[in-house]
Amino acid sequence: MEHIYLVMIFLFVLFMLLGTGVWVGLALFGVAFVGLELFTTRPAGDAMITTIWTSSSSWTLTALPLFIWMGEILFRTRLSEDMFKGISPWMSSLPGGLVHTNIVGCTVFAAVSGSSAATLTTVGKMSIPELRSRGYPEYMIIGTLTGAATLGLMIPPSLTLIVYGVTINESITKLFMAGILPGLVLAGMFMAYVALWSFVRRSEVPDIGRETPLLDKIRNSRFLIPVLLLVAVVIGSMYLGYATATEAAAFGVLGSLALAAGQGSLNRRTFVDSLLGATRTSAMIALILGGAAALSLSMGFTGLPKALAEWIDELGLSPFSLLLALMVFYIILGCFLDGISSVVLTMAIVETMVRQAGIDVIWFGIFIVVVVEMAQITPPIGFNLFVMQGMTGHEMGYIAKTALPMFGIMVLMVFILIFFPELATYLPENIRSR
Amino acid sequence: METDVGRHPLRRALDRMYLLCGFFAAFCLIAILTIVTMQMIARWTGEILPGTSDYAGYFMASSTFFAFAYALNNGSHIRVNMLLNAMGGKRRWGELWCFAVASALSIFWAYHAIKAVYWSYRLGDISQGLDATPIWIPQLAMAAGSVVFSISLVDNLVRVVLFGTHSAYSREIEGN
Repeated sequence: MEHIYLVMIFLFVLFMLLGTGVWVGLALFGVAFVGLELFTTRPAGDAMITTIWTSSSSWTLTALPLFIWMGEILFRTRLSEDMFKGISPWMSSLPGGLVHTNIVGCTVFAAVSGSSAATLTTVGKMSIPELRSRGYPEYMIIGTLTGAATLGLMIPPSLTLIVYGVTINESITKLFMAGILPGLVLAGMFMAYVALWSFVRRSEVPDIGRETPLLDKIRNSRFLIPVLLLVAVVIGSMYLGYATATEAAAFGVLGSLALAAGQGSLNRRTFVDSLLGATRTSAMIALILGGAAALSLSMGFTGLPKALAEWIDELGLSPFSLLLALMVFYIILGCFLDGISSVVLTMAIVETMVRQAGIDVIWFGIFIVVVVEMAQITPPIGFNLFVMQGMTGHEMGYIAKTALPMFGIMVLMVFILIFFPELATYLPENIRSR
Repeated sequence: METDVGRHPLRRALDRMYLLCGFFAAFCLIAILTIVTMQMIARWTGEILPGTSDYAGYFMASSTFFAFAYALNNGSHIRVNMLLNAMGGKRRWGELWCFAVASALSIFWAYHAIKAVYWSYRLGDISQGLDATPIWIPQLAMAAGSVVFSISLVDNLVRVVLFGTHSAYSREIEGN
């Protein structure tokens, strides 16, 4: 680190561009330019464009728009109603009753969509009014939904995991498989919390009347079966090695189109809307990825990642304390940046360090997703809080407070991941290849 | 949002161009879907379509670059709003800074994209994949999209200077 002043200028430009509100992708591009000019004599613009071209025309990246499109199609179907009708009868006999619908609904939608905002909107559209009308306390409805919607980031397909995989050149399929069990465990812990609440605050749990007969339950959930089948095919084909992530995504799009057509909610307008929505979102992410590709090229020349890795090495930190430090770092970063931006921005620096510390990068992807999830529900910048505010009109502070227990559960989840890494590594290590 | 220029022919032409680019980007997504599906069917029936994954990659890049301007004018691109929101009445100055920086960066980006196409063409670069496509053809989409993106940023910059408004306010939160 002989160029300590140059490094400081470099970091200053980074924070200044990002902080003053320049669009994240362009800001990263600008910092990359400054870095290349400061640390090398090579023509910065040409090197950056070559890198950007290579990264933006990669085959792996094509999974991104397709999975976004799949979610956008299903988002525009009747899925929201079907989900509430189909799931709620099964939940009524659990301790805590229909509040579980929020969590199970989010888990199911998370498996067809990679976005937590879409998950929150789809599930909340039906479940918030329904749960309110049955007399469940507002803070439980809001809190569990805000928290559980973050599962959209972890349960495959997950946009954050695609971005992570593309950034560090690891298999998307493996990352997806790694997210399944931790996602289910997290959902299970949210449900346990609801059950606990129902025992501790028994008086708050409304009586919702008689049990639905089994046959009615099955009849009510018949609309959900195609969705579950689609999930099984998309995820199963990747696990069994029949399809790459992109192929599974293409299958997902075709399946959702068929599903929407079967429901009668596929028309010219929904088709064009879903396609344009996917185009915009994928362009937004691609701009960030383009800037990040240039940044990581530039970052290599600054020597910052290597110096940081060596410094951590000298400190003799155990992986455990390193991970705790990273968790705190990401939670703070998440107060200012959205999840995808913080993943691409930090991986340019952190990747070397993580690999050198001997941490499994697939596992680390799941770790990063959990900590980024936490950032979604913490003020001042928590995307789920914004979406929830838009849906219910509650204040951000109130929503954040109701979601605080979920935040605690996610912290617990980080420790579970650290102590039981197999949770994330078992499935990816056992993917069939053919 | 409608100002006097709202009906100006230039305004209409620009907005139509952004939308058209958006539609082209959307068309590229359909192309990706088609290619990937064809590839799957071919594999199941025991055939091999060489170079298809490269083509999917080119369409990915085309879709990306052509949608930049369209996404900008729909407020889809992500930024850190905290300082801008805190500026209150002085927000215009913040926006001016952002659009000025972004315009400069995107012009630099577009210039080098054009240069890359020019050199690929002059040197006759061929894709390293099985498709053996002359690389300047797909790169042309990168250059064209980048140019439209810088036009849209300058367009917004001019509007901030003249009228204090622009069309890149984030309307919804996507992708998270």
